[in-house]
Amino acid sequence: MEIIVCIKPVLDPDMPPAKFSVDSKTNRVIPPEGMPLVINPYDALAVEAALKIKEAKGGKITAVTLAGSFATEILRKAVAMGADEAININDPAFEDSDTFSTAFILAEVVKKIGKYDLVLCGRQAADWDNGVVGSVIAEYLNIPSVIRAKGIVVTNGKLRVERVVANGFEIYEMGLPAVVTLSSEMGQARIPTGWGIINAVKKKIPVWTCSDLGLDPVRVGKTAARNSLVKLYTFSPSRSCEMITGKDDKEAAGKLAEKIMDIKP
Amino acid sequence: MENFDAIVVGAGPAGCAAAYTMAKAGLNVLVLERGKYAGAKNTWGGALFGSAMNEVFPEFWKEAPVERSVSRHAISFLTKDACLSVDYKDSHSDGSSTPGFIILRAKFDQWMAGKVEKAGAIIAAGLEVDDFIREGKAIRGVKVGGEEFPANVVILADGVNSLLAVKAGLRGEFKAKDLKQGVKEVLRLPREVIEDRFNLRGTDGAVMEFVGHCTLGLPGGGFIYTNLDSLSVGVVVQLSALLEKRVKASELLEEFKAHPAVQSLIRGGELLEYSAHLIPVSGISMMPKLFADGIMITGDAAAMVLGTGLILEGANFAVAAGVAAGNAAIRAREKNDYSSAALQSYEQALKDTFVLKDLNTFREAPHFLENERIYNAYPQWACDLMSRIFCSNGKPRKNTFQVVRESMKGRFNIMQLFSDFMRARRAM
Ligand SMILES: Cc1cc2nc3c(=O)[nH]c(=O)nc-3n(C[C@H](O)[C@H](O)[C@H](O)COP(=O)(O)OP(=O)(O)OC[C@H]3O[C@@H](n4cnc5c(N)ncnc54)[C@H](O)[C@@H]3O)c2cc1C
Ligand SMILES: Cc1cc2nc3c(=O)[nH]c(=O)nc-3n(C[C@H](O)[C@H](O)[C@H](O)COP(=O)(O)OP(=O)(O)OC[C@H]3O[C@@H](n4cnc5c(N)ncnc54)[C@H](O)[C@@H]3O)c2cc1C
Repeated sequence: MEIIVCIKPVLDPDMPPAKFSVDSKTNRVIPPEGMPLVINPYDALAVEAALKIKEAKGGKITAVTLAGSFATEILRKAVAMGADEAININDPAFEDSDTFSTAFILAEVVKKIGKYDLVLCGRQAADWDNGVVGSVIAEYLNIPSVIRAKGIVVTNGKLRVERVVANGFEIYEMGLPAVVTLSSEMGQARIPTGWGIINAVKKKIPVWTCSDLGLDPVRVGKTAARNSLVKLYTFSPSRSCEMITGKDDKEAAGKLAEKIMDIKP
Repeated sequence: MENFDAIVVGAGPAGCAAAYTMAKAGLNVLVLERGKYAGAKNTWGGALFGSAMNEVFPEFWKEAPVERSVSRHAISFLTKDACLSVDYKDSHSDGSSTPGFIILRAKFDQWMAGKVEKAGAIIAAGLEVDDFIREGKAIRGVKVGGEEFPANVVILADGVNSLLAVKAGLRGEFKAKDLKQGVKEVLRLPREVIEDRFNLRGTDGAVMEFVGHCTLGLPGGGFIYTNLDSLSVGVVVQLSALLEKRVKASELLEEFKAHPAVQSLIRGGELLEYSAHLIPVSGISMMPKLFADGIMITGDAAAMVLGTGLILEGANFAVAAGVAAGNAAIRAREKNDYSSAALQSYEQALKDTFVLKDLNTFREAPHFLENERIYNAYPQWACDLMSRIFCSNGKPRKNTFQVVRESMKGRFNIMQLFSDFMRARRAM
């Protein structure tokens, strides 16, 4: 089994909320200083799923990331867990790629790798929660896809996937190659071993650029973006406190009840 | 399994300095750090003084993430309402001396770790060393949750809580009387506000220490350091005093922040992070055995901190000691001898540098600083004296000497004052 796992670096979910800030003029998140990005938690599950399949069937796992900074650190996390290879997809031309151009570039990466049975993604990136890239890669590659998987089994060259739905799960069977995106119901990603981490630090991670992929820069990055972000701001709820008094508790409670009933939804 | 020339436990200032020194000399070095990344959980005041870092990473401030360079150093005595300060400013414009640098650890430690990696060492983060590989009495590597990492020599740079130092038999656990607890908040404030309030230009910075009411008279003090666009605000208090008086350091921090002289400096700051950490403060008297077969210990883990009351310096010592340990490992490798006898050169090197010289010069300071009058009676007296001198209440004024005498009455007697003075002379 040749498995390609797409992983995205995201802000650390353990980061204190006060460190999160946005620049509303440029509609960008201001990267918090001194806080390295982490592997998108769903993507760590995709690596885990790939490792389980490899353990059962043998094969090779290649992790790919399209991101400016922190890409190599994030790829090393996947290698530390047990991925065999990692590729850093990096080119100034890729900057400001949106969901669609990202999926396009990743599909081209998959094509260039050439030999593959399975492409695994997270169900969504935990920063924007879009959950689009996996399906769009499948569209570009023209292969089947299942999103929100909680389990994958490969038998006799066929894929059996349990897909999470609102009140349980559905079972799909399909041929290979295919794209599957992994959901949290899958369980937990393994913690890398010490020697795994050391091995990852030593790993040479190649960089593939726009021209390595033979792509026309017009088809990637800002020029190819189909989404535009209209407004990015942090929500700051306004609060005001009013003390309700009365000659006794009963009267105060009555006034409070009236206030609540007056609130228009 | 790969055998490393050296394994360093901890990627703080001591560990990074040791690893960098060895990696540059071509040793095959592994650094194991328990944080998610170097600096992840590390905290300090903090400003870096002294020359050790500059010797390892020449002109590091040009490249490293330093917040500000120290141009203002103030020491203030606090009573409940008043504040008496000595305010020293030095623009270091003639270049004859290097200023201190105010630093946030999370960023700075990552930078140091990056330098160490570039020099050729492997930094593996997220791994907590919990035991040693032993061969007879000698240490031959470390263990992390059952996994083994063999090495010719292990350098412990794992900070004040080093359980490994205890496991290696280099020392017992540090005692509360030998520790101070530091708690600190980082408060975000706009750059311009900081520069206005603290009277700073550009990236000049202020280090402000406070003694007295901020610790409710317990041995210790408060501090404010100006970062680029935030303030580090904290208190450092004798741990045994906290336990005895059943106060929490966090409560003292609230008290400190609420003091009028402090409040006016930190007002409007938005809380970014909160951290707490211990400091070994008894110097030489609490220092462990520094080496044994296949192991050396350095930095906070070995209590190499200088606290004279006026200064608290740990990082400078940690770096110099880390270098000394690294050099000892290099020499041991040349002779292929990692026995206790061969590693003795580490202690000798420390004796030849400021590390053991300074700690020796100030060996009386920790004991002297336990004197509660420093945190109670003296600040109150000093502020009271000022209030008497400046007070204008319509009555005829007395001569200043008489005012001084009156202000002392009932607080302490001449003998006490004299004995404290003599002890201060010896300790400082
Ligand atoms: C120079 C550069 C800078 C970038 N900076 C940012 C940034 O600041 N913030 C940001 O959110 N994005 C950034 N990106 C990445 C890119 O813009 C996003 O990945 C893209 O918009 C898709 O994200 P999404 O949240 O819509 O993904 P979703 O559709 O929610 O992602 C679903 C799954 O697709 C896969 N996937 C998504 N994106 C990638 C990726 N980039 N590489 C590999 N696999 C992926 C993962 O498996 C993920 O779980 C940058 C890219 C480059 C080249
Ligand atoms: C509130 C406060 C203010 C201070 N202010 C100053 C100041 O202004 N100036 C100054 O010079 N000094 C100051 N100090 C002291 C200074 O921080 C220390 O002396 C210095 O950090 C010591 O460096 P170190 O490398 O020995 O230890 P640390 O900086 O403590 O580094 C130890 C490292 O080891 C890691 N580690 C621990 N155990 C393990 C394990 N089992 N396995 C793997 N890794 C492990 C830790 O995660 C950490 O990264 C202050 C300290 C405090 C608490």
